[in-house]
Amino acid sequence: MPPIAQYIWNGLVTGGILALPAVAFSLLWRLLRFPNFAVSTYLTVGAYVALVLNQGLRVSIALAWLGALAGTGAVALAVDRIAFRPMRDRRPFSLAIASIGVTFVLENFVRFVWSNDFRSYDVPVTRAMSVAGLRIGRDQLLILGVAVILMALAQTYLRRTRLGVAMRATADNPFLAAVKGVPTERVIAAATLGGGALAGGAGVFLGLDASIDPLMGAGLIISVFAAAILGGVGSAPGALAGALIVGIAEEVGTLVIPPTYKTAIGFAIILVVLLVRPTGLAGARA
Amino acid sequence: MIAYLIAIATLVGVRALLTLGLNVQWGLTGLVNLGVVAFFAIGAYTSALLAVGGTPLAAAWPAAIGLASLAGAALAIVALRLREDYLAIVTLGFGEVLRLFLLNEAWLTRGANGVTAIPRPLHARFSGHYDLFYLALVLATVGLVYLGLERLRRAPFGRVLRAIREDETVAAVAGKPVFRFKVQAFTLGAGVAGLAGILFAHYLAYIEPNMFLPQESLFVWLALILGGSGNNRGALLGSAVLLGLLEGSRFLKDVIPFLTGVRLAAAQQILVGVVLVLLMIRRPEGLLPEKPGSD
Repeated sequence: MPPIAQYIWNGLVTGGILALPAVAFSLLWRLLRFPNFAVSTYLTVGAYVALVLNQGLRVSIALAWLGALAGTGAVALAVDRIAFRPMRDRRPFSLAIASIGVTFVLENFVRFVWSNDFRSYDVPVTRAMSVAGLRIGRDQLLILGVAVILMALAQTYLRRTRLGVAMRATADNPFLAAVKGVPTERVIAAATLGGGALAGGAGVFLGLDASIDPLMGAGLIISVFAAAILGGVGSAPGALAGALIVGIAEEVGTLVIPPTYKTAIGFAIILVVLLVRPTGLAGARA
Repeated sequence: MIAYLIAIATLVGVRALLTLGLNVQWGLTGLVNLGVVAFFAIGAYTSALLAVGGTPLAAAWPAAIGLASLAGAALAIVALRLREDYLAIVTLGFGEVLRLFLLNEAWLTRGANGVTAIPRPLHARFSGHYDLFYLALVLATVGLVYLGLERLRRAPFGRVLRAIREDETVAAVAGKPVFRFKVQAFTLGAGVAGLAGILFAHYLAYIEPNMFLPQESLFVWLALILGGSGNNRGALLGSAVLLGLLEGSRFLKDVIPFLTGVRLAAAQQILVGVVLVLLMIRRPEGLLPEKPGSD
């Protein structure tokens, strides 16, 4: 088995983790019409919520993960109420700048309490399996499995529930949706809560797969953007596909260029997509 | 204490140049640039590396401004056709990739070790009170750039930029080559940021890649919005207030015992974030709003 398969597998896991914030980011971008830089920081928030539960309160990692979903969703909702709601009618770039301000506050709150040290969860060490010459971690399998289930749930929610359909309607045409009686603010609240939870859950995965530090989420912002733009802004399946492509490209790319340039691969993807289609890839409907 | 104030004033001057540069791009023309720090770094590194290599400053400084402007023009030509939100991420990414380049291409940039022993201009001549001389140099530069940009803002060129900011289509219908003006404005702003980088590098005599983190771009944005974007006086005021905020909070360390270095830095950045969000909500026009229809 050539080593490239190992890189592809690792990329698949990275992509699976990336898919969660990418879907959240993409849908919120379409719904609220501004790129919310805080989404990548929600990964950091989720990772530390789980850290408090797992290390501080000695809760199992599975329960801590559920706690991170709830906690990060709540933080995202609070941020939306405090920072973004008063600015709903402003031009998108004002909101984008405010969202960068939010990332500063959240990230540095984490740094204030836990400093810059790298941390990890208290989980039993498992041995990686060897399948056909590939090293496959049990954590990795679990992460990818849960990510796939979460994505399927999100897609079902958007397609089959009243609020999910309302969300897609508002994303398409907020005025028409509001005229037809869709409660815009409730839709936004639900999307923010769900998006925050997805990103928070991904943060715990990232903490399990790599390590936990205050900049862990911010380091992914370009990859998340790349996934969303590649998949077409507003498209959940698109963001998923985009995330897998970006994840694999970043891992396989390290065969050719030094791993320190990983971020540059996401940036190159963004540039190529935007140069070919300056308006971005118009997504299929979510 | 005097030495401290001189150092602060010098850094305010450097920040003021960065803010004036961004004001040409965003304040006058409405062009998003979240990668201000990239042009700052290009100016700093080009000048420092040339000077350390033995090039006279009289040649190194124009070369540094030239390269920063060139990078600005190149990025503008590639990216300025994009929608605003895409432009935001492309410029942000440009800054990050440039920092990775500075960190990894040690053969050219000396990597994480940074560039040391950068010559300080006229050091032998003013060795007695060099910092005072350097402050004067920085303030004179800020003054000249300010006057130049004020003239430019009132000139037909500046009026076209402001017209583009208000309504691109109208400016185009009036026969203005909008894209060319945008590229020129972006290039000019990048050149001013490069100039700031030069003064920064030769002041500290040492630079390294982590001085050019993405958050530095955000500080410039905060200074501009705080002061009042579109307004060169606002850019100056905003830079001074921002550094006042950052430096003033430094003294919290003496009052609050458990405030370690990391915590202090974190608290400062929380403050920056809170101020930015509050400004965007409450007073997006800043402390000194641009007067509508002025000049």
